[in-house]
Amino acid sequence: MFLAFEHVTKFYGPVIGVNDVDCRVGPGITGLLGANGAGKSTLIKLASGQLRPSLGRVTLGEHDAWSTAAKRLLGYCPDSNHFYEEMSGREFVGAMAALSGYSRRERRQRTEQALERVGMSELADRRLGGCSYGMRQRVKLAQALVHDPPILLLDEPLLGVDPRGRRELNELFSTLADEGKTILVSSHLLDELELLAERLLVIARGRLVAAGTPGQVREELEDQPLVVELVSGESRRLAALLAELPEVRAIELADDTLLVRTTHSARFFATVGELVLEHEIDISRMRLLDAGAEAIFEYLG
Amino acid sequence: MLRTVRAWLALVWISFVRLLWSSNTWIVLLPLAGCLLYLLRRRYGAVGYSEAEFQKFSVFLMQIYVSIVLPLCVLAFSAGSISGDREDRTLLFVLVRPLARPLVLLAKVVATIPLALGLAVGSFGLFCRLAGQVGAAAYADFLPAIILTTLAYVALFHVFAVAWRHAAIVALLYSLVFELLLGHAPGIIKRVAVNYYGRAMMVAAGQADGLQPPDPQWFEPLDPIIAGWTLVGISLASLAVAAVVFARREYHDLS
Repeated sequence: MFLAFEHVTKFYGPVIGVNDVDCRVGPGITGLLGANGAGKSTLIKLASGQLRPSLGRVTLGEHDAWSTAAKRLLGYCPDSNHFYEEMSGREFVGAMAALSGYSRRERRQRTEQALERVGMSELADRRLGGCSYGMRQRVKLAQALVHDPPILLLDEPLLGVDPRGRRELNELFSTLADEGKTILVSSHLLDELELLAERLLVIARGRLVAAGTPGQVREELEDQPLVVELVSGESRRLAALLAELPEVRAIELADDTLLVRTTHSARFFATVGELVLEHEIDISRMRLLDAGAEAIFEYLG
Repeated sequence: MLRTVRAWLALVWISFVRLLWSSNTWIVLLPLAGCLLYLLRRRYGAVGYSEAEFQKFSVFLMQIYVSIVLPLCVLAFSAGSISGDREDRTLLFVLVRPLARPLVLLAKVVATIPLALGLAVGSFGLFCRLAGQVGAAAYADFLPAIILTTLAYVALFHVFAVAWRHAAIVALLYSLVFELLLGHAPGIIKRVAVNYYGRAMMVAAGQADGLQPPDPQWFEPLDPIIAGWTLVGISLASLAVAAVVFARREYHDLS
C-alpha cells in the first residue's frame, strides 16, 4: 500500500507550508527528517487528511487522503500529548476501536492485542492523566494500531521515551514493517531515523530536498557547505595552507580568526589535523559554527 | 455500513458521557438555581390560580427563562461539544477515524440533544411545579415552544462550535447581543433572535389562559404555526450550515 504526494503544495494564507512535494512512500519504514518548522507536520497533516493540499494530491492507496475511505487505511500517532484524560489507557484504546466500528467482542480483542504490541497490557488500567510521558506515547501508538491499518503515520513517536523503550518500539516498528505495512516516521533527529528507516525524506523550508537510503542522505548532508571557525596566531600562514585544500570553498580572515567554508566537514577536519602537525601551527580554537541539524537543513534548502 | 453505524453510535455515547461529566453540566446549574431561588421567593404556588399570577409567571418565563437562561444553558453543551474537543485537542482522534465529518457532527448534535432538552424540559417542569396552578397551565401551554426553541439553540450553537475555537465565548456574545438586546428591541429587528419565535408561540398559546398580549409596539405577534415552523427551519438550516462548514473545514490547531 502506497502513500503518495503528487506535486503537493500547501499555503497557509500567504505563507507556504510545503512546496511542490512529489514522492511515494511504500511498504517498510520511511523516515521524514526536518528541522522544526521545516514542513514535516504539514506533510503529516496532509497525509492524515487533516489538511487539504492547495495544489496537487495526497493519496493513500487509491483514495484521497481527505476522504473517509482513506481513514480506514490509516493509523495515526500524533505528536500532541492530549487524550481523553479521564479514561484509562485501556478505555481510550477501546474507545478508538469503537470509533473504528468494531463490535464489542472485536473491540476487546483488538484493544488487548494493540496494548500487548506496545507493551502496555499490564499498565493500561491507569488513568491517562496519571501516566508518564513514555506510557502515553505507547497508548497513542496502540490507538494507531488498534484497527490494524496498512499505513502508519508516526509523528515523533519516540519523543520522551526512555532508551529501553526506544529499543522496544524500534523493534516493534521493524516487525510492523516486516508485516508489509507502510510506515512514515517523522523526526528532527537524523541519528534516530538512521537506525530505524530504510529510506529517508529530508524536508527543509517546505521543500523535499533529499531522498534515499540513510547512507545516501548522510553523504548528501556531509557534502553540504559548513562554516568552521579557526583561531590561530599564525592565521595568515594557516589560511594559505587551507586555500590549497580542494574541499575549502572560501576563507575569511579577520585578525586571528579564520572563517572557512568547507564542503566536506569530516574530510576537512582530518586534513586540518594533519596540516597542523606537519607545519607545527598552533590553533587555539576550532569549532563548527553551524553543526546543528537546523543549519544543515538551511543549507539544503 | 454496519461498521459505520456502530462507529457513529459509539461516538454518540462517548460524546454524551464526556459532556455529561464535563464542567459544563455544573456551570449550567447556576442560572437554573438562580431561577429556582427567584421562584421560591415569589411563591406563585401559594396564591392559587389567577390570570394576574399567570401573567406574571408567563412574563418571567418569556423574559428571563427563554430569553436569557435557556440560551445560556444550551450554549454550555452545544458550543462545548465540538469546540470543547477542539480546545482539549482530542477532536483529532475522531477526525482520523473512518467516519464522514457530517456524521461526526450529527453524532455530536444527537449527544447534545438529550442533555440540553433534558435540562430545559426538566428545569421548566420543575419551575412550573413550584408555581402551582399557574405553573400547571403554563407547562401545558408553553412546552412545545420550549422544546422547539431549545432545539433551535442546539443547532445554532453547533454552527458556532464548528466555526470558532472558543465557540462558547462567541455564543455568549451572541446570546447577549442578539437574544437579549435585539430580541427585545422594538420593531422588526427582534426577528433576528431565536427567542422571538419561541415567545410568539408562548404568547399565542397562553392567551387561552388569560395571558394578555404585549404592547404591539414592542412585540408584534406572529402566527404560532409560522413561529413553530421558523424554529424548525432555523434548526435544520443551522444543522445544514454546520455540516457543510465542518465537512470542509481544516483545523490547523489540533496537534
